[in-house]
Amino acid sequence: MSDPVGAVLVVGGGIGGIQSALDLADAGFKVYMVEDKPAIGGAMAQLDKTFPTNDCSLCILSPKLVDVGRHPNIELMTNSSVTAIDGKAGDFTVKITERARRVTEACVGCNLCAEACVLKGRLRNEFDEELKERSAIYIPYPQAVPLRYVVDPVNCLQVKTGKCAMKCVEACPANAIDFDMQDIERTVEVGSIVMAPGFEGFHAEAKGEYGYGRFDNVVTSLEFERILSASGPYEGHVLRPSDGKEPKRIAWINCVGSRDRSCGNEYCSSVCCTYSIKEAIIAKEHSGSVEPTIFYMDMRTHGKGFESYLNRAEDQHGIRFIRSRISEVQETPGKDLRIRYESEEGALREETFDMVVLSIGLEPGEGVKDLAETAGISLDDFGFCETEETRPMETDVPGVFVCGAFSGPKDIPETVMEASGAAAKAGAMISSGRGTLVEEREFVPERDVSGEEPRIGVYVCHCGINIGAYVDVPAVVEYARGLPNVVHAEENIYSCSQDAQHTLIDRIKEHGLNRVLVASCTPRTHEPLFQETLREAGLNAHLFEMANIRDQCSWVHMDDKATATEKAQDLVRMSVARAAHIEPLEELSLDVIQHGLVIGGGLAGMTAALALADQGFGVSLVEQEDALGGNMRNIHYTLDNDNVQEYLGSLVDRIGESDIIDVHLNAKVSEIGGFVGNFESVIDTPDGPERVEHGAIIVATGAVESAPAEYLFGEDERVISQTELERRIAEGEPVGRTVAMIQCVGSRDESHTYCSRVCCSDAIKNAIRIKETDPSAQVYILYRDMRTYGLKESHYGRARELGVVFVRFDLDGKPAVDTDGDALTVKVKEKILGEELFIEADIVALAPAIEPRPDRVDLAKMLKVPLNEDGFFLEAHVKLRPVDFATDGVFLAGMAHSPKTMEESIAQAYAAAARASTLLAKGEVRVNPAIADITEEMCIGCGLCVTNCPFKAMELVLKEGGRKAQVIPASCKGCGVCGASCPKLAITMKHFTNEEITAQIEAYRGVA
Amino acid sequence: MATETEGGCQDSADKHIVVSGKLIDELEGLCEEDVFGCYQCGTCAAGCPFMDEMDLTVDEVLRYVILDKKEVLESKTIWLCASCFACAERCPRDINITKIMEALRQIVLRQNIDETDLECLTDEEKRSIPQMAFVSLFRKNIG
Repeated sequence: MSDPVGAVLVVGGGIGGIQSALDLADAGFKVYMVEDKPAIGGAMAQLDKTFPTNDCSLCILSPKLVDVGRHPNIELMTNSSVTAIDGKAGDFTVKITERARRVTEACVGCNLCAEACVLKGRLRNEFDEELKERSAIYIPYPQAVPLRYVVDPVNCLQVKTGKCAMKCVEACPANAIDFDMQDIERTVEVGSIVMAPGFEGFHAEAKGEYGYGRFDNVVTSLEFERILSASGPYEGHVLRPSDGKEPKRIAWINCVGSRDRSCGNEYCSSVCCTYSIKEAIIAKEHSGSVEPTIFYMDMRTHGKGFESYLNRAEDQHGIRFIRSRISEVQETPGKDLRIRYESEEGALREETFDMVVLSIGLEPGEGVKDLAETAGISLDDFGFCETEETRPMETDVPGVFVCGAFSGPKDIPETVMEASGAAAKAGAMISSGRGTLVEEREFVPERDVSGEEPRIGVYVCHCGINIGAYVDVPAVVEYARGLPNVVHAEENIYSCSQDAQHTLIDRIKEHGLNRVLVASCTPRTHEPLFQETLREAGLNAHLFEMANIRDQCSWVHMDDKATATEKAQDLVRMSVARAAHIEPLEELSLDVIQHGLVIGGGLAGMTAALALADQGFGVSLVEQEDALGGNMRNIHYTLDNDNVQEYLGSLVDRIGESDIIDVHLNAKVSEIGGFVGNFESVIDTPDGPERVEHGAIIVATGAVESAPAEYLFGEDERVISQTELERRIAEGEPVGRTVAMIQCVGSRDESHTYCSRVCCSDAIKNAIRIKETDPSAQVYILYRDMRTYGLKESHYGRARELGVVFVRFDLDGKPAVDTDGDALTVKVKEKILGEELFIEADIVALAPAIEPRPDRVDLAKMLKVPLNEDGFFLEAHVKLRPVDFATDGVFLAGMAHSPKTMEESIAQAYAAAARASTLLAKGEVRVNPAIADITEEMCIGCGLCVTNCPFKAMELVLKEGGRKAQVIPASCKGCGVCGASCPKLAITMKHFTNEEITAQIEAYRGVA
Repeated sequence: MATETEGGCQDSADKHIVVSGKLIDELEGLCEEDVFGCYQCGTCAAGCPFMDEMDLTVDEVLRYVILDKKEVLESKTIWLCASCFACAERCPRDINITKIMEALRQIVLRQNIDETDLECLTDEEKRSIPQMAFVSLFRKNIG
């Protein structure tokens, strides 16, 4: 067989496609990204904030958009669709149609064409859910990548009728508009394909009873995101569409187009409960007088950190939650909205709201049917891409992979995990083609600025209206021009946009800048982006400085614009003073040991080890017990899989057959030294300690089932766990005629505040088994919220139809389990009828909470990685870096991250392997040079810095003048603890020298 | 839970409704709707135009059936149901609740117990009750 083509087609430019493309391109593959819309970004770009951290969505996404736009190995085709796929895995031929954009690459994104368009303000922008106007030539949103305008062929008069004054052409300074442009057919060769077309919002008109499309003040949740957004139709003010007044009472109606057979969407959309909470919190933050009410069926906050988000919404933000599905919405003459609902106690109530938000569900969308047909992949009954539980990223066509909401509703971190996972799969399939089609990033030679006087360029960002509405940006620019060493100053609407980077490069060359200051948001998210731009302009990346005039200025002084402007000027003055002292720093490059250490031999660990081995990397797999499998050894079947043990057996066999996976059973990692790319660890094995050198670590230590402390567990042998019930069912043991299941035993209460995520589905799967075996058996499930999210919902419906009786209870009305003579009884308040329900049960099955392993604290300390409030390992960023740790070279997968299903563990394991293999494949790692620096003559070798360093980045070595401290560059994070503790002031932090900081402080006191 | 008696008109409350087996089995013989599929979400009750007059809410009726509480057959709700199909139309589980109401009435009617004796309607009632209400009333009586 000939070598596979070392290129991958990624269909869809949302966060899923973006993550896959970046992982693949970084791992040495050529990527063709095809996006149907004129710009990438997908649904995430439309969101105002993201749950549960309330991060600004576009702010965290935008650097990734720019990365895609300028990655030398990614070829971006927007306004394009895939029309044919031929060939097979390793060698596909793909036909792509790029629809005529009528704007050439000469476009500079200046907006003059849109201003001149005769249809200006008469068309509706789809990106803003049609709440905002646009012209017939437009860009979807200001930070769009590519920043290239597009002619709307349906509405443009010139395209439609050939009769228009073409004011746009006249206005364009770049001569970029070309009405003769035709559709282009392209053919590309790729080895594998990643499908990430995303989802469409449910079309709310289909639920006519809620009045969407008829009543002005009924909006969809996606429209409400735009209403909340600072770049949306009302510039971030929460206003209602009918009269532009601030709404006070806002109702969210959940499950619109979800969990609803009557519109064909029986599944749960997974994300709406949490996003409605987010929208309610943000609305209240925008205007304290807003009174949000959320109407819901079951509150499904099953994700990591979501349950405490829910609790905060209720306790701190005063958001009202009402468990009731709404039958219809009526409009009053004053355009208010009347909702009648039934309380859980059966009382009918009627309330009037100023505005109603419909929490619309996620649908596969019409377009994906054609795509699926073109690729020959199968869709399920709802139109989602069909996958198997043990192969969550695989379609039924070899070489074609899937990630994100195309295979079922899911949130951003789950999508990002699958995207990295799909990249691992797509890359492994064509790994021998790695590096064959890519261009090495050409580094512009660095200009030597030593000896030059500082020439500082200052860029002041409006951040749309985030800064611009509260700080007088032109006044800050004017002020900056007068500061010492500043030779150029200008303003940007968005300094992080792609065109702003091009301008920045031009200005650096034009004005001979040797220091750049951007006054905008935070270096935490945006510093790498601007540093990359400096590199492209031939400047050392560390000649860059940022002043945060948003998070620390405009956002906190919204009510006092004069003071905000003054403070922005202070901050700019201080940063300019510092910038004059910053120096270029040389980046270090270190070799990487191409071997991985996987800690934990459960499903996630085994999967990650195999995925690394598939990419050709050696692995040491460490398992504490005497066999591989972890919790999976106790799982016999799932809702979608009859034979879990068979799959486990196949994994164990594959690992045994691998020559490059070294398995250590009854073993434990006792010591971890070194740093990214060059770790050295000790594994305690039954044969004694063994040293291993490796470049990456994957933490897959799992979690454990807690021991229930209530409901007679351990006192009456008829009270068992769901795990034990599952074993009995699987082994054909009788389970009795009446089974009562109690959910949330230790979850969502004071012992574990989070939701254990899998227990509802576990109860359902066991209940279905019992009823299928013996339809006359009585099965009761006592629950608080049934959390069968996503496609699991149809199993919940099936359990109901099989006759399982569901009884809801609240935390303050828990069921009581007692023995009455020989009888085992369960007593619970039946809320609908308001009566006590007695169940005489043969078996009571409890769903115990899943809790973090007790020994994870030692491991966390050894790795210097954090745990979250619930005791699970904390990833680098909950949305966009779900498998990375803040510590480089260490990755996370499986239940060590949070409770999850097998399918989710598998996806995350592949993702962790993908992230680790991009590191291992490169063979070298670049180290941040902004680290501690020791003046050796001053060091007295006291060792205080060694003791205090939280990253094990300091060591004492014997040198000529005695014992001296020495920095391990790759481990040092530049935090400064050593410098602060040094009694001799022998340690300085590069890029944060005393000189730089003092200049900054001096500048605060007076103009420097 | 019975109509007012007047003259020679009979009080249906005197007759006792007997269901020997499980209510669900009886019901399944009369309609194929999946009562157990109900999520108890309350949509049916919130949208029912006669809800204010009913003793049991619509979803409570379904709950009675699920828990095999036969008192449901003596409730006013099943007779006040106007068969307008609003509940059926909006049920997210696609359960035709109107059919279930009808089936419950049938169980009662087949024991020769009637909630309304047509012959006992007064002239005033005949004049003031809308025709549509009569239509649905007849529909209930003739099954």
